[in-house]
Amino acid sequence: MMQEKISLKDVSKAYDTRSTEVLALDRINLSVADGEFVALVGPSGCGKSTLLYIVGGFLDAEGEVLVNGAPIDGPGVDRGVVFQEYALFPWMTVRKNIAYGPRQRGMTDADCNNLAARLIKLIGLDGFADRYPRELSGGMKQRVAIARMLAGDPEVFLLDEPLGALDAQTREIMQDELLRIWLNNKKTVIMVTHDVVEAVFLASRICVMSARPGRIVKEFRVQLDRGRSREEIMLSDEFNRIRNDVWLAVREQALLMPKQ
Amino acid sequence: MTTARRNVRDRLGWVVDGILPIAILVAAWQLFASIGAINEAMLPSPYGIGLALFDLATGPEIRENLLVTLYRAFGGAALGCACGVAVGIAMARSEAFDAVVSPLVSATYSLPKTAIVPLLILWVGIGHTMAVLAVFLTCLLPTVVQTYHGVTATPNVIVWSARSLGASRREVLWHILLPHALPDILTGIRVALGFSFVVAISAEMIASTAGVGRLIFMYGENGSYAYMFAAITSVVIVAFAADRLLLLLSSRLLSWHVSQRGGHS
Repeated sequence: MMQEKISLKDVSKAYDTRSTEVLALDRINLSVADGEFVALVGPSGCGKSTLLYIVGGFLDAEGEVLVNGAPIDGPGVDRGVVFQEYALFPWMTVRKNIAYGPRQRGMTDADCNNLAARLIKLIGLDGFADRYPRELSGGMKQRVAIARMLAGDPEVFLLDEPLGALDAQTREIMQDELLRIWLNNKKTVIMVTHDVVEAVFLASRICVMSARPGRIVKEFRVQLDRGRSREEIMLSDEFNRIRNDVWLAVREQALLMPKQ
Repeated sequence: MTTARRNVRDRLGWVVDGILPIAILVAAWQLFASIGAINEAMLPSPYGIGLALFDLATGPEIRENLLVTLYRAFGGAALGCACGVAVGIAMARSEAFDAVVSPLVSATYSLPKTAIVPLLILWVGIGHTMAVLAVFLTCLLPTVVQTYHGVTATPNVIVWSARSLGASRREVLWHILLPHALPDILTGIRVALGFSFVVAISAEMIASTAGVGRLIFMYGENGSYAYMFAAITSVVIVAFAADRLLLLLSSRLLSWHVSQRGGHS
């Protein structure tokens, strides 16, 4: 058994609305091992992003969230995050966005610039170091957001539909990059996605969440040989078998959602 | 044609576009005055105003009074904007503070601050303090409102990103909330700066021993309308220059912002 990185014990979250209290998450228990890539999938409104924000320390919740066995106290540099809406700092250039984390850790200017230059090369944005976010396309912004998280050198990656706003082609390219980064770094990843194919392609474990109140209703282990090409993986019988099972599980939950 | 040359032409074109309507108005005004359609005792001609302006510009009177007014307008504006930003941030950051201050802001926002000049005279007398205080109160509210808006409109995900990259709560204020609010704060300062001249001069007209407001009022009382218009023109020139300087500063500070995507404001 690998070492436990993140542990959620009876995590519940209720939102106050004007008239009533809505239960968004209902006693979530989840244990993520070091180096695991967990995908959270489920019908929209099931609270999967809320769960990610709780692990990030951005939202308070009932129950316990442990990272490396210790309860979390708000956000921390051990947990890096990428949001669907990029959340870049608009007043900072690409270089300064990426260098923000290292600079906060007290790294020297020279080292910050070296690290930023290396990451800019990694994400294929050479020549864009001094551009502002508004001058970049959606795909480029998302790559900068990922590079900014990597520069923070976190132990855990929290990804909230990081590729949700991208077109199909850019999305596949970014999935390949994410997969490569995960395989090379052996970091722990929790990713929220509504794309079942993406979840099966990237994750080592998939948790299917129920309609509100969110609970984890099914888990799938994904053991694919990631050394193969995307075509080989996606056309294999085992890939499609898991994809079908996960899709069916999500579909069942979506049908249980009240009609809006 | 090179880009640089085209830019120069664009700029010159803009200056011509901006000045042309004013030039036509002044020319028509002069024409009607010259043919005697306007009684110069009621409305002086542009030529007469020009002569008066030249006369004023060579003497100490306008310079000294203009300096007094500038001191009051800029002093009050600087204090008002600084406090406005601080109060706006405090309101955005503390619900308790917001609950106390927000009703006060709403209640006094649309009050013309010149209306309380008599009260200010009663409290602090006639002079710099009264005028600066009136300008201060005028500049306070637009910056409070704009700062509050800019800070509260900061998306959570940007704040959360900074926190997860190691920013403390205090650093979030300096690194995230203030830069995000900067475009709004500068809008507030621009409004405040415009008001600052109006209020400084109005306060001087109501009661003062120095300043352009008093000068304009005095010329008007004496029937020296050419000199009155010349004094008004000098204020317009200074206020226009101050506004342009602020716009230039804003575009420097906000080169990252979407509002700067080409063109000029």
